[in-house]
Amino acid sequence: MDYGLTDEQQQIRDEIRRFAENEVAPVASEYDRAEKYPHDVMDEAAKMGLLGANIPVEYGGAGYSTLETALITEELFAVDPGIGLCITSAAFGAEALIGFGTEEQKEEYLEPVARGDAIMGTAISEPDVGSDVSSVATRAEKDGDEWVINGSKMWITNGSVGDYFVVLVQTDPEAAGRYNGFSQIIVEADRDGFTAEKITGKMGIRASDTAELLFDDVRVPEENLVGNRGGGFLQLMQFFDETRTAVAAQGVGIAKGATERALEYAQEREQFGQSISEFQAIQHKLADMHTRTEAARQLTYKSAWSVDEAEDQLTMLASMAKEFASRVAVDVADEAVQIHGGAGFVDDFDVERFYRDAKITQIYEGTTEVQKNIIGRELLGKGTFS
Amino acid sequence: MKILVTVSESVDVDDDFEVSEMAIDERYLTYDLNEWDDYAIEEAVQIGEEIDDVEVVTVTIGPERTEEVIRQALAKGADRAVRVWDDALEEASVLDPATKARLVAAVAREEEPDLVLTGVQSGDYSFGATGVALAAEMDYEWAAVVNNLDLDAEAGVASVHRELEGGVEELSDVELPAVLTIQTGINDPRYASLRGIRQAQSKPLDVKTLGDVGVDADDLRLSLSLSSLYEPETEGEATLLEGGPDETAGELAELLRERGVDA
Repeated sequence: MDYGLTDEQQQIRDEIRRFAENEVAPVASEYDRAEKYPHDVMDEAAKMGLLGANIPVEYGGAGYSTLETALITEELFAVDPGIGLCITSAAFGAEALIGFGTEEQKEEYLEPVARGDAIMGTAISEPDVGSDVSSVATRAEKDGDEWVINGSKMWITNGSVGDYFVVLVQTDPEAAGRYNGFSQIIVEADRDGFTAEKITGKMGIRASDTAELLFDDVRVPEENLVGNRGGGFLQLMQFFDETRTAVAAQGVGIAKGATERALEYAQEREQFGQSISEFQAIQHKLADMHTRTEAARQLTYKSAWSVDEAEDQLTMLASMAKEFASRVAVDVADEAVQIHGGAGFVDDFDVERFYRDAKITQIYEGTTEVQKNIIGRELLGKGTFS
Repeated sequence: MKILVTVSESVDVDDDFEVSEMAIDERYLTYDLNEWDDYAIEEAVQIGEEIDDVEVVTVTIGPERTEEVIRQALAKGADRAVRVWDDALEEASVLDPATKARLVAAVAREEEPDLVLTGVQSGDYSFGATGVALAAEMDYEWAAVVNNLDLDAEAGVASVHRELEGGVEELSDVELPAVLTIQTGINDPRYASLRGIRQAQSKPLDVKTLGDVGVDADDLRLSLSLSSLYEPETEGEATLLEGGPDETAGELAELLRERGVDA
């Protein structure tokens, strides 16, 4: 058993932190308030090769595993979850291409993302489809050598800034079995009939772009199909464990960032003639925040490690890590605001933003309730699809 | 063309710290790549990107801990690294610039670089002397405090701007081989890319003892030793005025009047 990070992993963590402190921290509030996508920061992130962290080396990325990607996510989210999500989501959907794409697809779609010349997205949810992924209604019909797509997708990260999306569609509605008949198809944003409407007014992660995608007779060539026709749902499911682990890492990062700020503020703020960190009530809060963050981190790292090393235990671990780390993020951000008192209620201090940003981690990539269902099912020895 | 870049770690001390005997307690120290060296590495890597067949080799005098900053240099684009350390050096409380220069020179004689880039100084000891001492040791041309470098590799000439006191810039042509001490601001040092970090792990990092570089451990001639370390008594206090000039000018005038400074 080895609990330490390698020299390389520490180097990644330290360099990401340097990047985030210098390039992200000074502009985080500005992009949050304006609900604006941080193109300038993205350019800097691209120069550092941050956008293709998990894209294989042969397609221009760094080829890092889920564990290293989790470290990157944690450090970025500890500085700013909004811009952190912009950076870590630029290759959303890439995992489907890495796993099931053709050589041509990998070259065409992965390389520009790794270079920072393109932004990707993955489109699953619909206005009436959230946790119940198997009821996806967006339809793709074959017409000659093209797919014709109709429907709409909701809550799509990078929706109005993305260049192409891996879209989960129904291709064979008559297929037997609840999970068959779905496919993943790449849709470029410049196709006729494609429109994206940015969703504004989000509570948190406001720098990150979210949109509704509308498909009105959008035609793409048949070679845009990713993997097998009818295998889309199972292809997608394979990566849920990884994407859930990534959200767990987001939660760990938020908790870490909130704890750091609370610790700093508690030592600076003086009341009753002493720094408030001298009060045991505050010390106990800080101790609890730090302990729970570390517990969430260990669960997350174990889940990330399991992606490559112990897949049999992954599904339950990923759900445990996601559920626990997102809850810790929300609770710790709450305590961080409490320690800041009135100062934490205005956006002069980062904790106000962390408090708003934390909540989404309990909602996206499977809600807390869905994670608990999975943990329960696994405990009782029932498979996910039984 | 071969460029040798000196790379060192620099120690940052927390605002609040404790001195225990002859050292500051480790708890209050952060080690990082020396800021000036970051610019020297960037300058060398950029030269390597502009012209063909450039090898960038870093040299460090330091214990195993310094491999962290060496890997940073490798991740930013240096090709390989040499680190010199020895038990005999472990015992020295301070390494004086002349000794450091002798050790770097021992490596440089082996490497025979066309150009040596050092930082102007280290952020902790701030001697600002190792680079020029190295030039003397090697009998190379040199230019100190370089804030602009235009290299004509074929002609073997480095046209440099030197930043002098009082805002004066001196323009000089220096013939290679030469040592240039690099000033901050000469370029915009890059972050190590993720691919760079990945590649850095397999780049050669040779560790050498004094014997390996041909220096006799009994003949180190260290000229400096630490005799005491203490925190000076605070004698007075500083007032920090925060805000733009429109707010702070009035506050400053008020303060000066209060203290009896009057026109």
